[in-house]
Amino acid sequence: MLVEVENLEKDYGKVKALKGISFSIREGEIFGLIGPNGAGKSTTLKILATLLKPTGGTVRIGGYDVVKEADRVRTLISYLPEEAGAYKNLTGREYLEFMARLYAKDERKAREMLQLGVELSGLGERLDDKVSTYSKGMTRKLLIARALMVRPKLAILDEPASGLDIVNAYEIRKTIRRFARSEGTTFLISSHNMLEVEFLCDRVAMIADGRIVETGTPEELKTKYGAENLEEVFMRSIGVSIPEPVGGEGS
Amino acid sequence: MSDFLVLAKKEIKNLMRDRKLIFGLIIVPLIVYPALGKMMQFGFESATKETHVAIVNFDDGKYGELLIKALNVTPNVTITVISAGSVDDALRKALQENQNVLVVIPHNFSESIESDEAATVQIYGVFKEIGSGMRESVSEGRINAVINVLSEEIAKLKVRELGAKNPDAVLHPIRAESKSYLLGRIVDVPPTVVSQVLASQSYGLPLIVFLMVMITSQMSAGVVASEKENKTLETLLTLPVRRTTIVASKITGTAVMGVIAALAYMIGLRQYMAGFGETGVSLSELGLSITPAGLALFGVVVFLTIAFSLSLAMLLAVFAEDVQSANTVVSSVILPLAFPSFVLMFVDISQLSALWKYLLLASPFTHPVVDYRYLIAKDYTALGASIAYLAIVAGATLYVTARVFASEKILTARLGWGRQKGRE
Repeated sequence: MLVEVENLEKDYGKVKALKGISFSIREGEIFGLIGPNGAGKSTTLKILATLLKPTGGTVRIGGYDVVKEADRVRTLISYLPEEAGAYKNLTGREYLEFMARLYAKDERKAREMLQLGVELSGLGERLDDKVSTYSKGMTRKLLIARALMVRPKLAILDEPASGLDIVNAYEIRKTIRRFARSEGTTFLISSHNMLEVEFLCDRVAMIADGRIVETGTPEELKTKYGAENLEEVFMRSIGVSIPEPVGGEGS
Repeated sequence: MSDFLVLAKKEIKNLMRDRKLIFGLIIVPLIVYPALGKMMQFGFESATKETHVAIVNFDDGKYGELLIKALNVTPNVTITVISAGSVDDALRKALQENQNVLVVIPHNFSESIESDEAATVQIYGVFKEIGSGMRESVSEGRINAVINVLSEEIAKLKVRELGAKNPDAVLHPIRAESKSYLLGRIVDVPPTVVSQVLASQSYGLPLIVFLMVMITSQMSAGVVASEKENKTLETLLTLPVRRTTIVASKITGTAVMGVIAALAYMIGLRQYMAGFGETGVSLSELGLSITPAGLALFGVVVFLTIAFSLSLAMLLAVFAEDVQSANTVVSSVILPLAFPSFVLMFVDISQLSALWKYLLLASPFTHPVVDYRYLIAKDYTALGASIAYLAIVAGATLYVTARVFASEKILTARLGWGRQKGRE
């Protein structure tokens, strides 16, 4: 197992964001963490990304503890926050080059990473323009390219296509899937978009109110609940009856 | 290239491309201050260029004519003798003819001098409109100088007529010879000039230190806050780079920019001050030269002060959500801390009680000002003690900042205590 999460807890003062969640991710797997806003997805991802310290429980990535061996963990992961930006006064290419130099330990590797980043972003000549001139979709493509070009052991992507139009969201999902197949990278993706999760993930964990309510492949879960899609699975798993399919992002 | 250099290079590049920052910190001082100085100089030069003086002479004697002749040969003074029946009439004519000053020689002028009584000359500044008043003031000064010289010469003639061999000694029986005793040496410079030279040092340095502190602290707070505002902080903190390297690179990047900005301010201010003239006496003429080793020590003092202000500003910026609130937080903490350095412009710290002295010295920002005085007095023991204090304070602040950066406080800390970041 590349990722092992056991009884993870996180309190923000009196508020319990995570109430003891456990899951594991195999190497090369695309694992989805799905649930509504406020369920604890981003908190989980931030703990795995070494940004937050858990109140209880343990997380190991590649055998390293995310609290005690945070420096080692950071060499294995690449994290894309839900709301992320890039340095506005740099060009897209300069931004990718800056990141490549921090991950690569020699000039040749840095050049290779940059080359991959340029390809993954698909921004062409616009990479030589300042990031401040980019649209939201272009910035997100640049950030996805940044997260993947370093060929991390584990890519942690928080809502990778959140807030994007249908075309940009589609392109980003395709980039992630193509990259996962070609490079065999392990992914942990959080989303509340069930379509996105079904399209991308090998296995999913459903999280609600700081607890994991179900884990399995999309097919297994749909069969278990006799549901047409993951949205119905989620609603039934948390005990809400659905008389008919509902609309929205995931339907 | 090491991680530190990659990060520092990015910081400098990012700051150098911020047009608003470059305009405010480099372009403005380099253009606005010299332009302001030039304008002041132009105003002063045009005021002193030529003085137009109207004279109305109601006197029949020889001394009235003598005064007119004396004024006529005075450089930069154009004399127009006007004839008028009264002072009011003369003032109206002077106004019509764009004269700056009207000199009225009264009818009993020569008679008074000849009968050993004080004669009076009336000088009217003629203001055509409400302007700077500089021209009228300069004109009055010039006429007074001429009258003083004339008065002195007439007095000497009179004293000589009375039989004195050395009229100068009779008129001025006591002459003062001003010298200064400074740090155990007698220097042949009047105390007023020494005071002027020392004052220019004690005014200039706190101002430059204050500017550097404010510029660099605002900038470093902005650098941290903009990471939050532009949502780049979380990514930065998950990179395979030590947090201390991140803090050090940000401090270095902003310090480089701060030094460039401070240089721009110093050049701009020097150009501005050039319009006002100097005392003509340097520190070395007073025996207060600075050795290269002393200058290096002072460099360490400035470096430690800047390091303290930068790390404190970064620490404060952790509690702000955006650049604007970071600037507010930093100003409200750094300004009161920097204020004591201004007090030292007017107060000699050695004259203060121990309590006030150490209270003022508690602020690291007072040290460059005090240390500069130690430096010119070659008091290296006091300078060394100051460096040790600054090193401890700057080191401790830097350590706390690095610790906060290594903790989740950097993501969750907010100014409203107890209010936590919304969670997903």
